[in-house]
Amino acid sequence: MSAVLPQDHAPFVTPDGRTIGNVLMDLRNITLRFGGVEAIKNISFDIREGEIRAIIGPNGAGKSSMLNIISGFYVPQEGEVWFRGAKRPPMKPYQVARLGIARTFQNIALFEGMSVLDNVMTGRLTHMKTGLLAQSIWKGRAEREEVENREAVEKIIDFLEIQAIRKTPVGRLPYGLKKRVELARALAAEPKLLLLDEPMAGMNVEEKEDMSRFILDVNDEFGTTIALIEHDMGVVMDLSDRVVVMDYGRKIGDGTPTEVRNNQDVIDAYLGVSHD
Amino acid sequence: MPAEFYYGVEVFLNGLMAGVLYALVALGFVLIFKASGIFNYAQGVMALFAALTLVGIMEGQVPFAHLINATFGTNLHHFGWQVPALAAIVLTVGVMVVFAWLVQRFVFRHLVGQEPIILFMATIGLAYFLEGVGDLMWGSDIKTLNVGLPQGASLWVENNTAFLGGDDFYGFFIDKLDVVAAIVAAILVAALVVFAQYTKQGRAMRAVADDHQAALSVGISLSFIWVLVWSLAGFVALVAGIMWGAKSGVQFSLSLIALKALPVLMLGGFTSIPGAIVGGLIIGVGEKMFEFLIGPMIGGATENWFAYVLALLFLVFRPQGLFGERIIERV
Amino acid sequence: MHLATTSASDAETVSVPALLARNAVRFGTKAAYREKEFGIWQSWTWAQVAAEVEAMALGLIAAGLRVGDSVAIIGRNRPHLYWAMVAVQKCGAIPVPLYQDAVAEEMAYVLDHCGARFVIAADQEQVDKVLEVMATVPGIDRILYLESRGLRKYDHAAMGSLAELQAQGRAERAAHAADLAAREAAITYDTTCVMLYTSGTTGRPKGVVLSNRNIIETSKNSAQFDHLRADDEVLAYLPMAWVGDFIFSIGQAYWTGFCVNCPESPDTMMTDLREIGPTYFFAPPRVFESQLTTVMIRMEDAARVKKWLFDRFMAVARRVGPRLLDGKPVSLLDRAAYAVGNAVVYGPLKNTLGLSRVRVGYTAGEAIGPEIFDFYRALGINLKQLYGQTEASVFITQQPDGEVRSDTVGVPSPGVEIRIADNGEVFYRSPGTFVEYFKNPESTASTKDAQGWVATGDAGFIEEGTGHLRIIDRAKDVGKMADGRLFAPKYVENKLKFYPNILEAVVFGADRAMCCAFINIDLTAVGNWAERNNIAYSSYQELSQHPRVLEMIEGHVAQVNESVAADPMLSGCQVHRFLVLHKELDADDGEMTRTRKVRRRIIEDKFADLIDALYAGKSEVYTETEVTYEDGRKGHIKATLSLRDAVVAPAVRMAAE
Repeated sequence: MSAVLPQDHAPFVTPDGRTIGNVLMDLRNITLRFGGVEAIKNISFDIREGEIRAIIGPNGAGKSSMLNIISGFYVPQEGEVWFRGAKRPPMKPYQVARLGIARTFQNIALFEGMSVLDNVMTGRLTHMKTGLLAQSIWKGRAEREEVENREAVEKIIDFLEIQAIRKTPVGRLPYGLKKRVELARALAAEPKLLLLDEPMAGMNVEEKEDMSRFILDVNDEFGTTIALIEHDMGVVMDLSDRVVVMDYGRKIGDGTPTEVRNNQDVIDAYLGVSHD
Repeated sequence: MPAEFYYGVEVFLNGLMAGVLYALVALGFVLIFKASGIFNYAQGVMALFAALTLVGIMEGQVPFAHLINATFGTNLHHFGWQVPALAAIVLTVGVMVVFAWLVQRFVFRHLVGQEPIILFMATIGLAYFLEGVGDLMWGSDIKTLNVGLPQGASLWVENNTAFLGGDDFYGFFIDKLDVVAAIVAAILVAALVVFAQYTKQGRAMRAVADDHQAALSVGISLSFIWVLVWSLAGFVALVAGIMWGAKSGVQFSLSLIALKALPVLMLGGFTSIPGAIVGGLIIGVGEKMFEFLIGPMIGGATENWFAYVLALLFLVFRPQGLFGERIIERV
Repeated sequence: MHLATTSASDAETVSVPALLARNAVRFGTKAAYREKEFGIWQSWTWAQVAAEVEAMALGLIAAGLRVGDSVAIIGRNRPHLYWAMVAVQKCGAIPVPLYQDAVAEEMAYVLDHCGARFVIAADQEQVDKVLEVMATVPGIDRILYLESRGLRKYDHAAMGSLAELQAQGRAERAAHAADLAAREAAITYDTTCVMLYTSGTTGRPKGVVLSNRNIIETSKNSAQFDHLRADDEVLAYLPMAWVGDFIFSIGQAYWTGFCVNCPESPDTMMTDLREIGPTYFFAPPRVFESQLTTVMIRMEDAARVKKWLFDRFMAVARRVGPRLLDGKPVSLLDRAAYAVGNAVVYGPLKNTLGLSRVRVGYTAGEAIGPEIFDFYRALGINLKQLYGQTEASVFITQQPDGEVRSDTVGVPSPGVEIRIADNGEVFYRSPGTFVEYFKNPESTASTKDAQGWVATGDAGFIEEGTGHLRIIDRAKDVGKMADGRLFAPKYVENKLKFYPNILEAVVFGADRAMCCAFINIDLTAVGNWAERNNIAYSSYQELSQHPRVLEMIEGHVAQVNESVAADPMLSGCQVHRFLVLHKELDADDGEMTRTRKVRRRIIEDKFADLIDALYAGKSEVYTETEVTYEDGRKGHIKATLSLRDAVVAPAVRMAAE
């Protein structure tokens, strides 16, 4: 199976009949090395508008590295990243964020000393236009902007049902709620592409169900394209439109959950030889 | 009330005023430390450099005059104009911003992710470098700085408080400059708090201080924030330089006030802005009162060491300082 | 006060929709509802509410709602859902609010029994439940939802949003306005106002039919009794399916024109309470209890000075506060001390609790611990007790200002007559007395006699001298022990529950020689106690069986026995043996009702092995218990429980005093 280079831009129809949009992000022949170790070996796949795209694989398969490439935390040695029809030059993470790609982290990266509200507000930074000098001169404009951003943030707080902890410092929250606040912050940026690195890691069954519902609702309500890494196969099958399977830095499967589940390579990777 | 008591009060007030200056310098440290984890040894020298630059610009000095004269055999010293104080301050702020950018671009950008001790060593180098540059640019002679701040004892206070203590008391001796310094410092701190809480950049600054990775992910450019923070620290240094320079002249010893800021930080905590203020005031008042009350019994000159001993006690009993975040070692 | 006595024409007060029309004129620009949304309190005036309700009613007619249809309303307290209830009445149909935390099968019974044609559901969660039961409940024609989130992909053939319905109502106003006016004109004082299902402790829930007369007469009388005014504020946070909420948030609110405030979410209730500062407040004892527990825990952790101040001034408050509230004479010095305490302790504390503006506060449903009751009274909060039930449109008895005690439930409410039967059961008759149980004439007949007297099912007596009613227990639960002595389990359980460490207690002893008890510890209180005493535990189960916890509970039981023994009538009810349960009694497991009342029979069956072990005198027993998780799955927990003997006080001789 070699990578198909000419990209088709026709809408993609999944076997269950759902139409998903054009290619939003296209990763072409990506190779990433740390020193001599190849973490990702010549991987290509795309993410289409409006879909939930899962990246799965055993530990050490290179899933997080892949997400870090998309979000600009790593720059691959080889390959191209295409975003919204244009080739993306090597970028810093903050520049990627400003392109409209928001993310969460496996180990949660929140501003622990700040309140939930302030944390989510930082998600709006890329939407704040008024500059430093302008803020001190046109106080009214800065205030109006602040109010607009606050409204956008309140909608998300309401959406994720975290009203009760609005003023609580993040450091005092339990793990499950922190994950939700991190999602809220990423959503506040109104991203074109939302990257979730193991959004359900370390959660109990109930919290996982809540989080799944939120992810589906986000995709449904805001039409946000989502790429996520997840270990729990059940969750992946329920949530995602298409799945990329990685193993040892290679891509071993790509397709709908059903296709992937029946793929022999995938079965081997998961059930055959254990990597741990 | 005996006159002694009122002298005590006067010493206390003077201590507060001195404390304000300590606090100002400590504030510069805290800003940079919070945002980047760098302990900036050069903060004191930055104050000296800022003050030198201000005097130089005001008096129309030709920068690097010695160097130019020695190289080209010319005899340049002054442009021959005088720059008004306010314009000179604005220009100096500009110089400090350029300095902040240079430091970020040529020093710390190459040291991202290094051990704190390496960063600290870099600031030591920076301190000596800056001291040399200051000398070279503006000359090493002691200069007087006069930006038009009121100076000298406040007769008004003296006259209106003289009745308090009877015949042996002549009223409180309070330097007007100290009062101005206190007011300026208060305004500066208030402005900084407003900036940090309510502006986009302030929010970004707090975000960077809290978590670099998370800050990157919401689109904050770390290098921009660091330039911003160093610029702010440069501005604070300028204010401290003006106050100190106006009081005792712009000279090398100004850079040593950085050493006084160290115990202030140990008291207040390295990451707390209110801590820097309160710490500064405690050290200022503490050393003056100690000298006044205990000094005569043990031969005086306690001001040289009091602050450090106090800091040492704090290190033993409350290492995170009065307001610092509790130190928790994560395993 | 004035409102109630103004000679309003009958047409103005004949029904809730009529009251709304009156309020839209009389209080047009005054806030009628508030709801916190997106972090801000949004508000609607009476005039706006009238317009919203009208649009909704027109929409319902357009959607095909017929006179006499039942419409189920499911969700937490939200203005739109209250309006829906009024809009349904306006159309001549019957609103039936349901408990929102009911599981699908419970919901299926009620939906089927009331014959709901339309269901108005708050959100996806409720819609899902309704869809689940629709297969077995054929009558449901249409689901209307308030919150569209997550419902985009659902089949909308028999489903639509409430906002769209209102828009349709506005658009098709011309077509249906005459119909609506005619339907409204046909509403009389005896038309059904609402139907409320009681979550009875035994058997299937029963649909209590309440007429406009029931609701409006009761609201008028009770508003007069407590001098409720148009500028009062209430917080609507108790289930909409509960009669109390209907009386407070609709009956009295529409009668007096006061403002109903809805919290942002169930979790923010305490914050919202603080922000609103209601002047008229109702809460069941457990809310006051948990608030007090929180305060006490915070005080345990507070700085020594703060704790000292708190203790000092609370002592003053306990002595002086209730007397001040009751208008009894208080010395100048005490008044001064109380004033200082108010500035330093009570004021700030009331403010944090959100109770600083409460003029009239009520608690009911369960007995409240005297310490808890006195604590709030001491702070200067006019907390009172009432006794009521769904069948009475709430009010049977209530405490007038100045006659408030923790051990009575007050005097008969205005318009209510009370009679005590020979077996001690309390009967009442009032304008609020329900019309009937829906489709259940047998139950109606066995509860309400031809003269309109209703059996409460509670045993009690009228206190001589004061005329206050005192309730002992459920009439059917007051039984006899083997030797013929009186057995009143609730009486003992309440005494046990007054200890903050004890969340629930169930006492057994009917037809037995002695009483035994199950105890549920309060995880917050005992957990905190454990923390302070360096007791490590990894689970509720482990904590519940910790020897020191058992020791503590044993102490509580001994104290209760002592106090029970003091009453010669009930001294047989002392607890001889007890155990601490390894799980919390839970409505999901059927052990309690949704309103958190213990289901004695079910517990007796489910834990028969434990009861046998207690009476067999064993010191330890192994047991397995089935539990239901929140998602409906079932599991088993295993535990070995220790059974303990309690110190029993010698019974006071009947003849001794």
